[in-house]
Amino acid sequence: MTISETLAGALGLGAVNPLEDFVLSLVGAALVGTFILLNTAVAGPWAKRKITAAFTDRIAVNRIGPFGLLIIVADAVRMLSKELVIPEGVDRPAFDLAPLVLVASALLGFAVVPMGNGIQLADPTVGLAFLFAVASIASVALVMAGYASNNKYSMLGGLRAVAQNVAYEIPLVVTAMSVVLFTGTLQTSEIVAAQTETLLQLGALSIPSWYAFVNPFAFVLFLAANMAEVGRNPFDTPEAPTEIVAGFQTEYSSVYFVLAYLGEFIHIFLGGAILATVFLGGPAGPVLPGFVWFTIKIWAFFLFTQWCRSAIPRVRVDQVIEIGWKGMLVLSFANLLLTAVIVGVIV
Amino acid sequence: MSNPWIAIGALGVVAVAIPLSMMAISSLLRPRVPEQGKTTTYESGEVPTGTPRIRFNIQYYMVALLFVIFDLETVLIFPWTVIYRDAVSTAGLTTVLVPMLVFIGVLVVGLAWAWRNGAVRWVRTPRRELTTKRES
Repeated sequence: MTISETLAGALGLGAVNPLEDFVLSLVGAALVGTFILLNTAVAGPWAKRKITAAFTDRIAVNRIGPFGLLIIVADAVRMLSKELVIPEGVDRPAFDLAPLVLVASALLGFAVVPMGNGIQLADPTVGLAFLFAVASIASVALVMAGYASNNKYSMLGGLRAVAQNVAYEIPLVVTAMSVVLFTGTLQTSEIVAAQTETLLQLGALSIPSWYAFVNPFAFVLFLAANMAEVGRNPFDTPEAPTEIVAGFQTEYSSVYFVLAYLGEFIHIFLGGAILATVFLGGPAGPVLPGFVWFTIKIWAFFLFTQWCRSAIPRVRVDQVIEIGWKGMLVLSFANLLLTAVIVGVIV
Repeated sequence: MSNPWIAIGALGVVAVAIPLSMMAISSLLRPRVPEQGKTTTYESGEVPTGTPRIRFNIQYYMVALLFVIFDLETVLIFPWTVIYRDAVSTAGLTTVLVPMLVFIGVLVVGLAWAWRNGAVRWVRTPRRELTTKRES
């Protein structure tokens, strides 16, 4: 059940033609986009500060509005009205396009994510492959930003971003494959549906067969690879504020900086959405409606990244490469083959 | 069931419209005060030297090549994982699993080779390489 079908049902339309479908999908897409922007707006200027402050025993924003929440509005206006400084020697079209590509690609990933009962924009049969494909476009944007900025720090950040994404993309996808072995489909709605069965019945409490429970080893691997993929601690070497200023976003100011930052947050939430879909039963959960559970799950991943940010030191860039190629890659293939054997024996 | 790519296209339109509208709003709000020195490339406050368009070390190319190989491999494994369960129940475990074990085995041998040759290692500067050689 996609959003356009839900909307068509609510409006009492029968079968829709492609044009009507596009218009309804556009409305749905606008809603999804607004939802994601709302999440990042709360996460970026407010939640991130509050969480980091809580970890370091400070108070953070508390002056404007209740709990300092209106800082979101103030910050949005402040950042958008900054002067845009374009440094000399930048590669113009690429420099301008990079933030746009970063935001657009991360947003596009949400097209196939099931966010609740009847809240899914599209449901192609290649859903999962599409998710991973779109989620990795971001590294193209990072290279564009890094190369076009004509700055040594940006260049290093861009190169690190590629090396890291290249090293962790394969463990990420291969680990997700071990879940596909169970489901036998790439369609996201089917993957979520396969996780509704009961795994264990402990008295009144029934544990669903979420793949985080069925295949915990894969879950941990995927979580680690996902952290690297979205470039958060302990794998935040592309930005590494204490080493290379701000990495690829060193030269970005004003609205471009906002977009680069926004893109990163959307990417974190997209990582959380992939994790929720593949391993945490998508929007499934007791009592509360599915949409609320989906929101809780992506926020759980966001909180986890922030926890790691405060608690785990950054690994060195050469260690990032070694962990990726020598550790994660081997482990993910071992996991895939082991899962294949287990699934094969059970079937 | 309508074509899912219509909806994905719709989100594509929205995904591009959001950053574009933000750029438009910002261009209405922001001041423009060009000053001498403002547009200098940032290099910790120093006058920038040299060019950042440096040459890549060849080892970087090796990692990229390795990635392409493994990425192609994942593309080839994906269909196998999708049909795996059905195939096992119709054709039996060994017929389905063994060819994939061989396939992945070949690639693991490749990875082992790359590992031994130091392709999956972060590029070291020649000077550092020299000191480690001297130490050993």
